[in-house]
Amino acid sequence: MKKKTNYMVYLIVFVLVIIAIAEWIGIQSIPIGPFTIGLLPLVFAVIITMILGFNIFRKGILKKVYSKQNVDFASKYLIFIMLPLMARYGADVAPKLYEIVQVGWVFIIQEIGNLGTVLFGLPIAIMLGLRGEAIGATLGIGREGELAYISEKYTLESKEGRGVLSLYIIGTLFGAIFFSIFAPILLDVGFSVEALAMASGVGSGSMMTAASSTLVARMPEMESTILAYASASQLLTSFIGTFTMVFLAAPLQQFMYKLLTRGDK
Amino acid sequence: MTDGMNKYVKYGLVLLLSVSLILFTQEIKLLKNPESTPVTGMTILGLGVLWLFSMIGILISELMQRSSLKIVRDFPILGWVSITSLVMCLLSNTFVEAIQAVDFLSITTPILTFAGISVANRLVDLRKTSWKIAIVAVFVFMGTYLGSALIAELGLFLASK
Repeated sequence: MKKKTNYMVYLIVFVLVIIAIAEWIGIQSIPIGPFTIGLLPLVFAVIITMILGFNIFRKGILKKVYSKQNVDFASKYLIFIMLPLMARYGADVAPKLYEIVQVGWVFIIQEIGNLGTVLFGLPIAIMLGLRGEAIGATLGIGREGELAYISEKYTLESKEGRGVLSLYIIGTLFGAIFFSIFAPILLDVGFSVEALAMASGVGSGSMMTAASSTLVARMPEMESTILAYASASQLLTSFIGTFTMVFLAAPLQQFMYKLLTRGDK
Repeated sequence: MTDGMNKYVKYGLVLLLSVSLILFTQEIKLLKNPESTPVTGMTILGLGVLWLFSMIGILISELMQRSSLKIVRDFPILGWVSITSLVMCLLSNTFVEAIQAVDFLSITTPILTFAGISVANRLVDLRKTSWKIAIVAVFVFMGTYLGSALIAELGLFLASK
């Protein structure tokens, strides 16, 4: 018991140090051609902790920080660490609820945009020569919902299962980083911040956080609208996301799959 | 963690850790930039409120496990917490003011720090995925975001007419 508590102390001190470093780096604006990418402290925090977690660095103090207990603790309780953020969203939505309900139908139809995973992803996957994996990897963004659906229908040992698992891993590792870069690019392309905020509710907490926070960093004066739209859309995705997947994405995927693989054999 | 410890006590402590880290982050932000959101009595109250709403959300989620509807049982804790907070914030504006005294970006840094640590042992799994799926992943993420953004843009345009 005593030993376990010690490990926790290493973890907490480490987290404090990383937060301090990430915040000290602050927001870095990086212009790439016509685009400006704003890298937030949260991106530095996730990159630093991932890199220090490489096996080659796990010596001395870092070995104690990245002990099995601590890593298990972080993954088991990550969701609870996130809860205050979800509670914060209530305070963003409440003052804007009237405004949101007025354009409520837009919130609902933009959920259909989540079919973009099939529309964009499947042709690419087929072109690269993937078949079963393509089904698993393009049904959705590969979070818990798709994982459950695919493992129930095909099992996780199947090609489809490998596809969804790979996407799950990639999304877990790089999803937040990806969206914090992609969201501001679309802002520069000319999308309105309201539409992008609404689209940020992709169904993964960390990806939504990354997308919406970069938008906030770019347009601080729109903070309350961005957070309200993003969280309302996220909430909606968690309600109807399963239905969109089962009744729209899966049939569309089957149809497109047959069409695209006609030339096989 | 101690096995015998009541799980709600455990959740309460983890949440306490979470809100303390938010406070720490906000203080660091202030040290770096004195212009950022100040830490006031309202901030502390706000953190307390965030803790409380999270706790209530956890309790509701546990209670809902008894429901006979699968969709209700599967609804994530994250969603219950948002709903709890939304309802409470509609009831009293004090909650809104307190919570908004907590700097938003200060909430996000500790979460992603934990997220980075939590994936540490899964980095090796990357070897199991192929570069092909990595390319597909880029298009999948772009697809969902772009798809929703396009429809939202169109919808908002029509709604404003």
